Amino acid sequence: MKIEVLFSEVCNLSGDFQNVEYLRQSLPEADFIFTSLMDIPYFAENRPDMVLMGTMTEAVQRRVIEILQPYRDRLEKLIDDGVVFLMTGNACEVFVRHIDYVTEKLSVDGLGLFDLTAKTDLFHRYNGKFLGDIDGIPVVGFRSQFSFLYGDNSGGFVGKNRRSIGINPQTDLEGIRRKNFFGTNLQGPILPLNPLFCEHLMALAGVREPHAAHREAAMTAYEQRLREFRDPKVKF
Amino acid sequence: MGKISFYLAMLAGKTASALLKLLGRNASYLPGKVALTICKDFMGRLTLPKTVICVTGTNGKTTVSNLLTGMLRKCGYTVTNNSLGSNVQAGVCTALLDDATFGGTIRKDVAVLEIDERSSLLIYPYIHPTYLICNNIMRDSIKRNAHTDFITFLLNKAIPADTRLILNADDIICAHLAPQCQDRTYFGISADAPESDALPFLRDIVYCPKCGALLKAHYARYNHIGRLYCPDCSYQTPEPDFVVSRIDEEANTFTVTCGEKAYDFALINRNITNLYNFCGAITVLSLFGLSYEQLRDAFAGAKIVRSRFDEITVGDHKLTVILAKGQNPIACSSVIRYAAGCPGEGKNLLISLDDIGDNHNNSENVSWVFDTDYTPLADDSIAKVIFIGKRCHDYYLRALMAGVPEDRLYALETWQQGVDEIDLSVCKNVYLLYDPYRGAEERQIQNCLVSRMKGDAEK
Repeated sequence: MKIEVLFSEVCNLSGDFQNVEYLRQSLPEADFIFTSLMDIPYFAENRPDMVLMGTMTEAVQRRVIEILQPYRDRLEKLIDDGVVFLMTGNACEVFVRHIDYVTEKLSVDGLGLFDLTAKTDLFHRYNGKFLGDIDGIPVVGFRSQFSFLYGDNSGGFVGKNRRSIGINPQTDLEGIRRKNFFGTNLQGPILPLNPLFCEHLMALAGVREPHAAHREAAMTAYEQRLREFRDPKVKF
Repeated sequence: MGKISFYLAMLAGKTASALLKLLGRNASYLPGKVALTICKDFMGRLTLPKTVICVTGTNGKTTVSNLLTGMLRKCGYTVTNNSLGSNVQAGVCTALLDDATFGGTIRKDVAVLEIDERSSLLIYPYIHPTYLICNNIMRDSIKRNAHTDFITFLLNKAIPADTRLILNADDIICAHLAPQCQDRTYFGISADAPESDALPFLRDIVYCPKCGALLKAHYARYNHIGRLYCPDCSYQTPEPDFVVSRIDEEANTFTVTCGEKAYDFALINRNITNLYNFCGAITVLSLFGLSYEQLRDAFAGAKIVRSRFDEITVGDHKLTVILAKGQNPIACSSVIRYAAGCPGEGKNLLISLDDIGDNHNNSENVSWVFDTDYTPLADDSIAKVIFIGKRCHDYYLRALMAGVPEDRLYALETWQQGVDEIDLSVCKNVYLLYDPYRGAEERQIQNCLVSRMKGDAEK
């Protein structure tokens, strides 16, 4: 099993790197390929089983778009071919039509693989939570972001947020989804926080009997958080 | 109209402050809030002391502010400061309001103000710093501070161009802060015995912001702290003007060198992050005009405030209490590394870092827990790591992922359970790492442990 981790040296702002670490401990036999901003991506010539990318600064986001632009068609082919992609935080925005950076007064074309746009405003930070089902698995997560996605994602979303907003305050549909591409605003360590979802991703990538690392400890923390998120007294 | 609203704001603010104090309530935020609601530019209308020293940066603000205030007072200066209150706009305003006459004059020699980086745009238009010290810029609360580019953007936009900057030379982000300011003095710690030239994987700057090349290090300390340079352009950490050139652990002193001159100071704490705080404070006060003798004598009596670091010895037991800013992965990593590296065997660490506000009818965003480095907890000198609080299971999982042996990990929801887990008949060194907002709980834990230690000593 080949798992490509894109630009982890800079796309790691909110504990996202622990998704990689958790997978590494869950799949000790898997081959992890760390692609830096200076490298040619492994996926350019090969088919990885899974691709991960985490939260980044706005300046890094623009550089990532520039680097990935020549591989747009290749990425589209891999997505259509069913490769598992997990893009957390603002990594998913790289794949939309364009991003408006309101504060910097900049507009940058994204890869255009999803017919949505993003708007980033450094003077408005949104903090929130997510509680919803992804492919029937209850998932909990956190959001902390300067940006929202706009457009119609009803044809492909990651999950319906049962208690709060989705890709923007006008919808409860969170994230962008096509086949096994999961682009979600949920930030940080969503795999150790959701061991069942982690096992689901591993299964989608071809693992026969997926078993999340430190399963008992992870399930204890997950079940506690699930109870809290389901409690109407808990603020969202 | 402006003048009327100013006097109304002054009256309302002072009344609010007096009422709160009368009721025994904390008066470190609300009076300023009241004044600012009535008069937006209230702080700009005050007559400030001739010298205004502002302290900002991710970690060490409070320690540096307290050092500066204490040392200046020891040298006979009168100082207004916000050490008792909040460092956001309303907190700073409250501190100034308290010390101001009804006419708006603050009759003190110096103002030492700790300023939250996030509040820069609301404060610097009204408070013009004579000196501004920035200790470091690192990742902090993801919810408030997002990332270092964002904080740098705010500071660069807000700091007035004629401010005299005192910057940490060993923090390449901090050292390049506010390029509009020409008057810059750098401080740092020399690398006679560099820890490593390999930068840690997780750090807040990786590529050169000027040309995009991968930054390299002559040496690296932690996060991006060290002597960094770009191999392809001139971007690099500057040479420090004031540098800790020697640490003598036997004599308990450290030496600060400035040009040809070298001065010795008492080493009041050995944590590397505190050495940066010390050197920064000495640099500011040296530029302010204190002589070496004044600095040395004032520094010798300085202490890190007990609420931030305390060591209590009872018989052959030692309890070390260290403040660790929750939601701040670098500060927590640093404190964990320090406690793990302290001498002693069979150490017990009691870790209480839950955010009180974010866990009251809420569920704390724990992303930062996973961004914190727990690998030092795998050190063999540690017998037990006891996580206490609502989020104990998250810390437990993260510690397992960091390779800490499961048989030394405990996840317990109450502090009483945590304290009970410590067996003082075998454990002589207890470390309590706690979040600043858990002060009340910290005192209870401390009292309970000290009383048990006394009981053990009497046996």
